Amino acid sequence: MSQEELARLAGTLDDVEVVHNAPKWPVRGTRAEKRAERTVAAWFILSALSALGFIVAFIAWPHEYVAPGAPGYGWYASYNPAIGFLFGFTVLALGIGVIAYVRKFFPEEVSVQQRHDGRSDEVDRRTIMAQLASAGKSTDIARRKLITRSAGAAAGIFGIGLGIAALGPLIRNPWKGGDQAALWVTPWAPKGDETVYLRRDTGILGEISRVRPEDMEPGSMETVFPYRESERGNEEELLHAQRASDTPVMLIRLRPGTETIKRQGQENFHFGDYYAFSKVCTHLGCPTSLYQAQDNRILCPCHQSQFLATEYARPVFGPATRALPQLPITVDSEGYFVARSDFIEPVGPAFWERRP
Amino acid sequence: MTTETTTPPAPRKRRPHGKMRRKFAGLLAIGVALLAVGGGYTLFAPNAEQNQAIAQPDAALVAKGQELYNAACITCHGSNLQGVAERGPSLIGVGDAAVYFQVSSGRMPLARQEAQAGRKPPLPQFDPDTEEGRANLDALGAYVQANGGGPETPAQTGAALRGDDPARGGQLFRLNCASCHNFTGVGGALSSGKYAPSLATPTEEQIYTAMLTGPQNMPKFGDRQLTSEEKRDIIAYVKSVTNGSNQVGGYDLGGLGPTTEGVVIFVVGLTAVIGFAMWLGAKN
Repeated sequence: MSQEELARLAGTLDDVEVVHNAPKWPVRGTRAEKRAERTVAAWFILSALSALGFIVAFIAWPHEYVAPGAPGYGWYASYNPAIGFLFGFTVLALGIGVIAYVRKFFPEEVSVQQRHDGRSDEVDRRTIMAQLASAGKSTDIARRKLITRSAGAAAGIFGIGLGIAALGPLIRNPWKGGDQAALWVTPWAPKGDETVYLRRDTGILGEISRVRPEDMEPGSMETVFPYRESERGNEEELLHAQRASDTPVMLIRLRPGTETIKRQGQENFHFGDYYAFSKVCTHLGCPTSLYQAQDNRILCPCHQSQFLATEYARPVFGPATRALPQLPITVDSEGYFVARSDFIEPVGPAFWERRP
Repeated sequence: MTTETTTPPAPRKRRPHGKMRRKFAGLLAIGVALLAVGGGYTLFAPNAEQNQAIAQPDAALVAKGQELYNAACITCHGSNLQGVAERGPSLIGVGDAAVYFQVSSGRMPLARQEAQAGRKPPLPQFDPDTEEGRANLDALGAYVQANGGGPETPAQTGAALRGDDPARGGQLFRLNCASCHNFTGVGGALSSGKYAPSLATPTEEQIYTAMLTGPQNMPKFGDRQLTSEEKRDIIAYVKSVTNGSNQVGGYDLGGLGPTTEGVVIFVVGLTAVIGFAMWLGAKN
C-alpha cells in the first residue's frame, strides 16, 4: 500500500470518514500561491528580525538610571518599552505566521468521526491486565522482598528529603522564646539597662537623629524607630530597627489644649501633648500613617479603619477592632524622648493566643 | 460692678474725693512710667531714626496688607484676625507662609464650606504669576506676620528651592509624605470627603510653605523636624516624579496603580484577544 492509502486506512480504522477534501492550490505555481507563500514567510522573517533586535537591545540598550532632563534620558526611558515591544512582537509575528500558514495552505477538509462508547472492549481489558501480571511474575519482583523493601527505603527517604527541603522553610515557630517570643515583644523592648531613644530616619544610613520635644510643631506627626547608643555606627542593627515590621511608631504632637481621653492603665504613657502609637494597623497590619491633623484621626489606607488619636487611638470606623498599642514615652535628663518600656500588648493584627 | 451697685449710699460724701485722688495718682504713675520708658529708649536706642527708616516701608506694607485683608478675608477671619465662629479660624500666629500657600493656590478665599478647600485659580489680585499678585501676597503676608508671627516664606523662589539630592528626598518623601500623597505624588483619599491633593500642580514655594504650615489636615513639618535642606530635597524629588517626568515605560496612566492599569488591560487587551480569536475562527 502507498503512504496515502495507509493514512486513509488509519482513518478508517478509527471510524473517520473524509467527506470532502480540496487542496487550496489545485494548480501549482500560480502567482497567487507564490504571494501567499511570501506573506507567510514575511511574518516569520519579521519575527526573526525582531528576536534579533530583542537580543541586541537586551545586551546593548542603555538601561542605567538617567534623571529626567539629563542627556540620554530618552534612551533610558525607552529601554523598557523597547525590549517589551521587541519581545512581544517576536512572539506575535511567529504566531501570526503559523496561523497564516494554516489558513493559506491547509486543504479544506470536512471529516466525520463516529462516536465510541466509553470503556474498552472486554477482551482488551482482560488481556492487558493479564499481560501486566505475567510481566510481574516473570521478573520475579513479587518474591524478592529484600529488593522491593530496600528500593522502597531509598526512594522513600529521598522523597522525605525533598519534602523537607521544599516545606521546611515554610515552618516557623512563632512561640520560640516563650514570653520573649517575636509575637509578644518588639525591638522597643529594653535589653539590659540601656536607654531606648526615639530616633527619626533622615534618609541617610547611619546618621543618628534623636527626637526632642521641641523638634515638633503642634499638630505634627513623626515616624520614629528605637535606638540604643550601642548601635551607633552599626548599620546592620540600625537598619534592622528601621525595617522590622513591628517597630514603626507614630509620635504625634497634638495641638495644645486638645481634650484627650486616656485608656485605663495607660494614663501616664504620653508626655504632655506627645502621644506615641504603633503604626501597624490592628486589623491586617498595614501602616496606618495617614494622620489627619484637623480632626486627629489616623486613617489606615488599606481598609479605611480610623483611629482617634485623642482617645488612645481607639478605632472609630472600619474593620479594626482594637486600639493601636501605645508606647509609653518620657523625656530624659538630656531632653531626648525615650521609651519607658516596650508596648504592653502585642502590636499588629490579632493571632490565636492573643487575649483581646 | 455688682459690689458698687450694692454699696449703701451712706459714704457718698467721701467718694468723689477718693475717686479724684485715685485718678490723680494713676495719671501721675503713668506719666512717670512714660517718662522713664521714653528716657530709657532714647538712652539705649540712639539710632532710633535709622530703625524707623527701615521699619517705615514695612509699616506701609502692613497697612497695604490690612487693606487687602479687609477687602478679601475679613468676612470669615474677623476684623482682628481672631476668626469668626462657624466661618473661619483665627489667623494669629499662622505666619505669612500659610498666607502664601492658601491664597496663591486659590484655596483662600474659600468658595464654600465643605470637607476641604480645594485648589482653584487664585484671585487675579493674588495671582503669583503676576508682579502685582506677588506684591499683594507679600503685603497680605506681612500683615498676618505682623500679628502674631509664625512660619515665614523661604527667601528663595522657584527652581532655587529644589535640593540637589532627589534620591534622599525620595526616601524622606516615602517616609513622611507618601502615605497620603502616593509615592508618585498623585495624591489620595482621606476620610469623609477629605483628600490629599496631587503634587503635580503646586509650585516649589507652595510645596515648601505647605510642609512648613500644615494646611488643613496635613500635619506640620517644622524646620527642626525636616530641615530646610531636607524640604528642598523632597521638592526636588516631587518635581522629578510629577508632570510626566516619571513615565518610564511610555505612559503612566495617571500613576494610580491597578485601577487604571486594570481598565486598560481589560478593554484593550481583551479586545485584542477576542479579535484574534475571531480571526482564527473565521472562514476564508
